[in-house]
Amino acid sequence: MHDSESDNSHPMNKNEEYCESLKKIGIDAEAKPIDTDSLEKENYYSGHFTNTPAMVTNHGIIKLKGSHIDEVQIIQKG
Amino acid sequence: MAQDLNPIPWGAQDRFQAHFIVKTNHDVSEEDFLVIPKLETKGYFASKRVTGVRWKGGILADALNSDAELESMMTKLSYDDAQICIEPTRGSIRIHGKWKDSYNFSMTKELFAVYDRIASYIKRLLGSPPVQS
Repeated sequence: MHDSESDNSHPMNKNEEYCESLKKIGIDAEAKPIDTDSLEKENYYSGHFTNTPAMVTNHGIIKLKGSHIDEVQIIQKG
Repeated sequence: MAQDLNPIPWGAQDRFQAHFIVKTNHDVSEEDFLVIPKLETKGYFASKRVTGVRWKGGILADALNSDAELESMMTKLSYDDAQICIEPTRGSIRIHGKWKDSYNFSMTKELFAVYDRIASYIKRLLGSPPVQS
């Protein structure tokens, strides 16, 4: 009984979590569902740097408003 | 069977990166927009501080080097946060920092202000209209 998860806990995607941290500092941000943006299908790196990882996991895109930055993509190594 | 003393890591690691993307909608010259900072620092280890920044790269680097306010903003960042990389990919230009573990993976107002200022220079060089914030 005590080791079960609380009814109030909601598992959060990494991009939703990061979106919340952006909202906390006053940025108008909205997390989009994974695999819905064309940028997610392109290369994430230019390949000019030697420390570019061979394999990455895409966690999705966050759309920003009122900023010079159009979108934020969350990436995990491996 | 003996256990491997140096196991090869596999699978997703606890290392995250946020790419701040400026859309170009067309391919741009890699030479112009591939930029990294050369940081001037003071101190060692945990007390290492950024005292100056010189951007190295194409025309974007020249624009960033001309902005004293940007340099001042970057000297207030931690050494890790100040290691910002700008690289063009197909249809976009990405601004990102170093890999961070899930505990430290968040954004501060100061760091976002630096990314946003860099993005404003990219948009200016691309000829995009200014953003009303």
